Amino acid sequence: MKKILKVEQIQKYYGNKDNLTKAIDDISFDVEEGEFIGIMGASGSGKTTLLNCISTIDTVSSGHIYLENQDITEIKEEEIAQFRRENLGFIFQDFNLLDTLTIEENIALILTINKVSEAKIEQRILEIAKKLGIEGILKKYPYQVSGGQKQRCASCRAIVNTPKIILADEPTGSLDSKSARQLLEMMEEMNQNMKATILMVTHDPLSASYCSKILFLKDGKIFNKIQKGEKTRKDFYHEILDVLALLGGDTRNVR
Amino acid sequence: MLGKLSFRNAKRQAKDYVIYFITIVMTVALLFSFNSIAVSQDIAELSSTMKNFSKVIIGINLVIVFVMVWLINYTMKFMLEKRSKEFGTYQILGIEKKDISNMFTIENLMIGLVAFVVGTCLGIFMYQVFSSIIMNIFAQPYQISIEFNWKAVEMTAGCFFGIFLLVLFNSRRKIKKTKVYDLLYADKQNENHHIKNAKGNLFLFAVSILLFLTGLWSLEQDFGNPDYMKGKNTTLAIVQFILGIYLFYISISSFIVKYYLENKTRKYQKNHLFLYRNLTSKINTMSVTLGTIAMLFAFIMIGGNVALLMNGMLNNEIEMGYPFEIMVATPDADFSKYKEFIQKNAKVTAMYEYQMHNIPKTNLYKALEGSIFEGRSYEGFDNVLGLTDYNHLREMLGHKTVSLKEDEIIVQCMKTAEKYFENYKEENNRLELVGKTVTIKEIKSEHFAQVSFNGYTYCIIVPDRLLEEIKQMDLKIEMSHYDGSYKLVAQTEEPTTETFYEELSNYILCDEIEQTAIIDGIEQNYTLNISLGNVSTRGHRVNFTKSFYTIISFLAFYLALIFVMATATILAIQQLSDSEKYKYRYELLKKLGMEEHEMKQIILKQLLFYFCLPMLIPILLSIPAVLIVGQIFTVAVTIEEILKNMLWVIGLFIFVYGIYFIATDVQFSRNI
Repeated sequence: MKKILKVEQIQKYYGNKDNLTKAIDDISFDVEEGEFIGIMGASGSGKTTLLNCISTIDTVSSGHIYLENQDITEIKEEEIAQFRRENLGFIFQDFNLLDTLTIEENIALILTINKVSEAKIEQRILEIAKKLGIEGILKKYPYQVSGGQKQRCASCRAIVNTPKIILADEPTGSLDSKSARQLLEMMEEMNQNMKATILMVTHDPLSASYCSKILFLKDGKIFNKIQKGEKTRKDFYHEILDVLALLGGDTRNVR
Repeated sequence: MLGKLSFRNAKRQAKDYVIYFITIVMTVALLFSFNSIAVSQDIAELSSTMKNFSKVIIGINLVIVFVMVWLINYTMKFMLEKRSKEFGTYQILGIEKKDISNMFTIENLMIGLVAFVVGTCLGIFMYQVFSSIIMNIFAQPYQISIEFNWKAVEMTAGCFFGIFLLVLFNSRRKIKKTKVYDLLYADKQNENHHIKNAKGNLFLFAVSILLFLTGLWSLEQDFGNPDYMKGKNTTLAIVQFILGIYLFYISISSFIVKYYLENKTRKYQKNHLFLYRNLTSKINTMSVTLGTIAMLFAFIMIGGNVALLMNGMLNNEIEMGYPFEIMVATPDADFSKYKEFIQKNAKVTAMYEYQMHNIPKTNLYKALEGSIFEGRSYEGFDNVLGLTDYNHLREMLGHKTVSLKEDEIIVQCMKTAEKYFENYKEENNRLELVGKTVTIKEIKSEHFAQVSFNGYTYCIIVPDRLLEEIKQMDLKIEMSHYDGSYKLVAQTEEPTTETFYEELSNYILCDEIEQTAIIDGIEQNYTLNISLGNVSTRGHRVNFTKSFYTIISFLAFYLALIFVMATATILAIQQLSDSEKYKYRYELLKKLGMEEHEMKQIILKQLLFYFCLPMLIPILLSIPAVLIVGQIFTVAVTIEEILKNMLWVIGLFIFVYGIYFIATDVQFSRNI
């Protein structure tokens, strides 16, 4: 398998000399093409900071991140917009849809930015919308549809441009359990049938059980890694819960 | 696609910033209508003074541009802040910063363009109203004509889009500097809390009060004795006021903290805690804005009052100085030529010629010592007028005739000088006059043309027999100035015109003397116009006053309206954007169980505070300042009139301001 993402000994510090917070403390891992990686951890464990560093929203204090051999920690300010639109897809907890555009236009926006020819845009949107089951709401505005539908639209926007990696920050965080399940099944579909590589940050074990591999963070360090392998989702779910119990408890006794 | 997005954003933004949009439209309308007045031929032709109007308006436009830059820049800052998440999303989607700032520019230019078109249309209508008012003042017939002056459009568009482009350039620079992380997580960022040194602030507070007092003192130095007026003191006063205002608003928050929050009973009373903490947390960052607003208000208050006072003075001067339609003074007793001319060119209802006699200066001038009139009487002599002449003139003016005993006199003086002579009479009603002792019978203060026509400030009315005696005396009086003691006054059926004035002046000036002189080594002939008399007509004066009145009041109105609107808009935008930013504070209060009406009360109090605070100092400061400056007008205007003007200015101001306040309050309650 081809390595898509390579994270090498990255660190992220906040604060000043007297009051230093290590949000990320020496993390390294790889992501292979077609993987669905979950990052779990308690609040403040550094998972969103990690995602922000990978997604070029934030910068690292030291270390390197390679996306297909390109070091994203060294991209110039002028090239960053181009890098984002060509390589990254985003799904946020609060959707970040533009409220002045319809669902269809929200998805189309990213294609027009990438200079896809007008004739192909509509066809492409329809194709993906059908696969993800949102073709019925394309003409509506974001404020006219439910949260679950908004998030599916955001996912659609994230994948429509076939980015190298899709970065999702708590995508189910604002959804009810039914919508959350629908969204996760959709992401699974994106991962398995559309060959999308997804990196998802979550603290919800159910969401994480859809992933193929999970990294657990604690205090800015990788605490544990687990693989789904051939396990059923139910077994994997229980395994996640076990790790979380370990993560939450006093580890000295457990070990 | 980006174009479509810009267009939709502009539409939404206009909705979000209704108050801002209305202010921009009104400003364009005002700019356009005043530019139209400035370039209008019809108005320039009304009188010679009105021609200057256009020059003044162009100067004023410059001031307006500064205020507009401030307003639009402030608003755009808030727009950028409010939409930070949106801009973050654009960046995350991979839109180039250049495209994002282009989008923002296009959006705002679209809003500006719509505001410009709507404002210009409104401006055409306003121009009609203004010019009909001006024509009315000059008693000219006015026909409504949809006159569309391209020069005015160009001037307005130049100003307006100049401002917009300047501000947008600044915004583009800001967008270029932003980081996507800051944009996406803007609402999670901590605010800089400026807790400043309280003691230092109390010191600044004291300094600001001291600056106000010394500023008033400097002003008094200039306007208390206008004869010794130096512009330096006034400039100093203005600098002191401006400094004082800024220091006051910078230091006021810690004063409030000290007063309300350090006293436990006051602190926990009603909803004080939430309210005052809310206020003081924001006022620190807002102090410079509040100071600027207050400075503009002070400018409106003092400037507006002085403008009204000047108008009042000019109007009073017409009544005071020109009770007769035609007044001619010459050193020559022969009026037959002039009388003939006047009779031929105007419908005369009454005409009278008489002579003012000069006598050595009596002690009467002592009544004016120490008053504003000191120095406003002839040097070395007083004017006397015979009772018969006096009664004749009184009849012409429609007053009752008076009588005098042998040793009695009347002092006829200007209305505003009456009280000084009354005081003098109470203390000492006897007067030495050409070696005789007479009694002052009464003081008369009807308008009697006493700005160096029938005496200067006052004249003495003597019985006819005494006048005969004075005529017989050989009083040697040195005249240091032009002696026009022979007077001719006339009343006409209709007001005199400006043309009549010019003809009469030319007629009296018609004596020309050929003279030869050596200029630059060459012998040259030239004609010298000899003035044979002084002519004044009421009609000429009225026209001058009207022009002046029109210019002053329109400009004062123009500036004041734009200042008030701009400042009220800034306060409104600031408060409304806070209402969204700090929605959670009010939601928390709701969750904690605060009643709806209590919340509304808090909002009302908070808004009242923000809207009133910048008014506080300007009003408190303008009252003594206007009273001090008004001293130079007390020659023609009474104190009651000054106070009445002040109420008018404050009232009008509060009216416009109040509209903005109510709009903000309604919107605020809706937002949370």
